[in-house]
Amino acid sequence: MKINPRYYPAIIIAVYVVFLLLGILLGFGPERGGGDHGRGALMQLACLTLESLA
Amino acid sequence: MNAAAREKSFSLTKSRRTIQWLVVLGTLIIGVRHIMPGEASRGGSFDSFCAFGGIETLLPYLSNGHTLKSTNLLNFSVLLGTLGVALVAGRAFCGWLCPLGAVQDFITGWTRKIGGEARHIRGKKSKSLLPLRLPASIDHPLRYAKYLVLGVVLFVSLLTVFPPLCAFCPVRAVFGLKMTNLLWLALIVFLAGSILVERFWCKYFCPLGATLAIFNKISPVRLVSDNNHCNNCGRCDIECSMDIEDVPSSLDHPECVRCMECLETCARDGSLVLKVGR
Repeated sequence: MKINPRYYPAIIIAVYVVFLLLGILLGFGPERGGGDHGRGALMQLACLTLESLA
Repeated sequence: MNAAAREKSFSLTKSRRTIQWLVVLGTLIIGVRHIMPGEASRGGSFDSFCAFGGIETLLPYLSNGHTLKSTNLLNFSVLLGTLGVALVAGRAFCGWLCPLGAVQDFITGWTRKIGGEARHIRGKKSKSLLPLRLPASIDHPLRYAKYLVLGVVLFVSLLTVFPPLCAFCPVRAVFGLKMTNLLWLALIVFLAGSILVERFWCKYFCPLGATLAIFNKISPVRLVSDNNHCNNCGRCDIECSMDIEDVPSSLDHPECVRCMECLETCARDGSLVLKVGR
């Protein structure tokens, strides 16, 4: 399917913003203090799921 | 203004330049924030806004659950945004959203102006001596250096507490505003390289570009060449900032940064078409 080139910049920016927000919603958001952080919400959820399965 | 005239007045290059200036401005703001006291208490350091920081800190995070110093979880979101663009449109991040790519494009424009090209004429070879096109015997092997940089950084990231590239990263050197001797050296090499060769860092050393290169082969939004319309005039080859040879037959090339300058400069309607789907 052809795309009108004028929509190309909007596609790129929209995709970037959507995936960035997705990352933040998954728990990979800005944190106070630099470095040495524990696992994010997604990782905790994965660990809990694995533990419950085990 | 009628629809046809509006269509004609639209310029991908102008859109790209506007986006690039905004990205550069945004990164400079992050850099200014970087030199203000207590930056870490306000949501993370300069490095935490870096997409490649997400790659640098990924292996340590997966192996021991902690990010490297000066990075944090935000790096993964920025990386996810970058990978999202790559999944949809290949290395379009490099061509449109990367602040360092933007700076290199600006430097090339200024270099050409200083070198005697008062106004760039699309599809015509620049009169300016700089930037150079390196001979293939040097250029081709050197292009693999970025994959080596990526491999070394990934390996070293498991052994260090700070992101391995941040000590001499050109993004920090250009935008970070907190200079060390190594960063001054990185800045000088980056500026000199960018004056001599167009998109010097992207072509030869950028490990993020190396990571995103594979997506050019699988991304659904891509350019397609129509051999029935193309007359091999070579205008797209001249405009290609990554110096890809024979652009119409190399539209999925890993080096392509999807800047769309080839599409913009193409004089024959229908020769290059932007499509979704493979």
